Amino acid sequence: MDSILAVEHVSFGFEDSGIEVIEDVSFKVNEGEFVSIIGPSGCGKSTLLRIIAGLIPPKKGKVYYAGKKVGGPAHGMGFVFQDFALMPWLTNLENIKIGLALTDFEEDKKNDIAIGLMNKLGLGGLGMQYPNSLSGGMKQRVGIARAIAAAPNVLLMDEPFSALDELTAENLRSDIVYMLESQDISVKSIIMVTHNVEEAVELSDRVIVLSNKPSHLKRIEQIKHKRPRDRKAAWFGNMESDIYADLTG
Amino acid sequence: MDLLSLILRLIVDTSASWLRMFIALFFSVIIGMLVGIYAAISDRAAKIILPVVDVLQTLPILAFFPFVIFVVVSVLPGSIGINTAVIFLIITSMLWNIIFGAYEAVRTLPKEMVEVADLYRFSGFDKLRKIFIPASIPRVIEQTRLSWAIGLFYLVTSEIFSVGNSKYQVTYGIGAALVTLGATNIYYYFIGIAVFIAFLIATILFFFNPLEKRFSLDETRDVDVMGYKRAAALVSTVRKISYVERATKLLVSGSTKIGRSGARFAMRARAPYPGNNRPVKKERSGRFSRYMPYAVAVAVILISGYFAIQSNILQYEGEVLIALFATLARVWVAYAVILLVALPLCVYLLFISGNKSRYTSTFQIIASIPATILMPLIVIAFKDMPFGPNIVAFLIFFLSGVWYVIFGITSNSGVLKSIIEVKNVFGVKGKDAWKRIYIGAVLPGLITGSITAIAAEWNASIVAEYFTSSGISGTGSTVITSVGYGMGKLLDLALNANNIGLLALAIINMILMIYLINFFVWKKLYKRVADYYK
Repeated sequence: MDSILAVEHVSFGFEDSGIEVIEDVSFKVNEGEFVSIIGPSGCGKSTLLRIIAGLIPPKKGKVYYAGKKVGGPAHGMGFVFQDFALMPWLTNLENIKIGLALTDFEEDKKNDIAIGLMNKLGLGGLGMQYPNSLSGGMKQRVGIARAIAAAPNVLLMDEPFSALDELTAENLRSDIVYMLESQDISVKSIIMVTHNVEEAVELSDRVIVLSNKPSHLKRIEQIKHKRPRDRKAAWFGNMESDIYADLTG
Repeated sequence: MDLLSLILRLIVDTSASWLRMFIALFFSVIIGMLVGIYAAISDRAAKIILPVVDVLQTLPILAFFPFVIFVVVSVLPGSIGINTAVIFLIITSMLWNIIFGAYEAVRTLPKEMVEVADLYRFSGFDKLRKIFIPASIPRVIEQTRLSWAIGLFYLVTSEIFSVGNSKYQVTYGIGAALVTLGATNIYYYFIGIAVFIAFLIATILFFFNPLEKRFSLDETRDVDVMGYKRAAALVSTVRKISYVERATKLLVSGSTKIGRSGARFAMRARAPYPGNNRPVKKERSGRFSRYMPYAVAVAVILISGYFAIQSNILQYEGEVLIALFATLARVWVAYAVILLVALPLCVYLLFISGNKSRYTSTFQIIASIPATILMPLIVIAFKDMPFGPNIVAFLIFFLSGVWYVIFGITSNSGVLKSIIEVKNVFGVKGKDAWKRIYIGAVLPGLITGSITAIAAEWNASIVAEYFTSSGISGTGSTVITSVGYGMGKLLDLALNANNIGLLALAIINMILMIYLINFFVWKKLYKRVADYYK
């Protein structure tokens, strides 16, 4: 398998305090892979995701996307935010079209793409409404539509389900898995930051476990089982306890 | 005058001004707390108090000062009357945010606390003493910083105004002293400004900071650490001289507090972003409010028709309208320039520079100095130019209003971090960014900031449009600056001529104009913003 994204010896620290937050983290993401990054809270996993996205420059090390060094937000990677980060003053449709800012499509074409995505994600007919009239789950669907509007190959998700209630989160998780596996969307690989071990084990092909500050790579867990996975299966429980032990130990 | 006696005189003047400020603050806190608590515990009272306070705080109360001073002095003659009028005026500037502060504090009180009190059969007075007053104290104290900053503008401006009208001049006051010095010796004037700023910093350090530390509920907020960080950025070039560093640190931490509470004030009432816990007010439903402005317009026509029968009122009304529109034009031209400067600046600070605190702390130092204090300088620099008086008025208006817009917008950064990330990750740039991101992001803060800014401009008009030296030279009166037509000028002249009818008519016209602008401009914009957050 070809790797689509490579993180090489990335370190990060806050300048004024001089404290290292991330220490020498390296891993690769292959095409078609769902990778979760998990770690104790405050370990810098969201920062790591932002470094991958090109939002923050790393202190040391490099990130390569499709063979090229990431020097700023890269075309080809979409980003889903934990708090949705929708503009309350734009309609849902306009919010999704934000994701098309870097493309040079005509306005009509942009509208078509956004409306198509809304229908696909169960948001049909809500285009002219404002985000604040939506439930949390619907808001995150708008956030996902925005992230995949420009047909990225890699989708970066920063705790995308943690602001949702469990039932809503479960629905959205299975929709994303379905879209990924049916190759219904352009996204080939997903990197998800989470603090929820169960979620990581349920969704990922690989789980990257980070240690506490300064965080470095503690363990990489391959999961070969087919999705959808049975949470009650014996291997599921064992793996969960292993990762928990790593996180708390 | 030798330097020592000048400084002593200035200290006496500033102390006199500060005494007025503290008396006004004392009454404002007591009245504000009681009214705010009453509004919070009685829904019926809230229905009347909140809308009234909302209107009162958008009125340029200083423009009514000539009227107030006329009435008060005719009842209480001499310096007692003038001081009463000045203190009353400062109270009217300090009170409103304190009322809202107390109201919010009690409204956000956990319901269980009141239930406990009911359970143990507290009397109404006991509830007030043991629950409502202690609960509202931290919020009210937080608000007093802003009250102080606004009050200072009113105080200085009203004192300067009194100098232009020898009959009504305050004997001691830093605002009065500064214009007198400005007209006689510019070097002394700068010493006066230095004394004023020294008092300002001392008040913040030795009064407001300890007070807030003592009563603040928020243990995590460390006043000094915050100020120090900003100070460190500012004084990096003079780091070696330790006393400069220390002085700057004190100055910055002090002014930062005023600026920040100013910003908080701008946010307080209206901006419906998260972090502002006062719920967005629902539009009053029903025909009554919808047709209200039209009813008002009809009433105006009928009343003016009635007065038209009396010919001199008709003539007054003509004068008032010309003056009103002249000042309106100046105020809005200055406001347009404020927007041209403040919008790109704020967008740069919030979205592009990534280090807004370093710049805003610099602004906050400058902004805590009332703009009208610069009157003498501006007059000297511009009065002999073509359109000199108009330039003077314009500059004072600009300086009085611009900070409110800047702080209104920059304080609105609660949701900004993720918005900046969205902008970067999806590469929204240029015109697209203005249309889709900047304007929407700054709009709530822009509206609140603009309303306060325009009120501040009107306030400044009573000294910026017309000013004479009667109180300076003592004999006769030289016009120092005077525009052709203007509301500030009209109010000044009407007061000097004891023309109570003209004063009253001018005020009625101003109230109507502000009411109509609020209704047709700001309410509409608010409604649009409120729609997003429904």
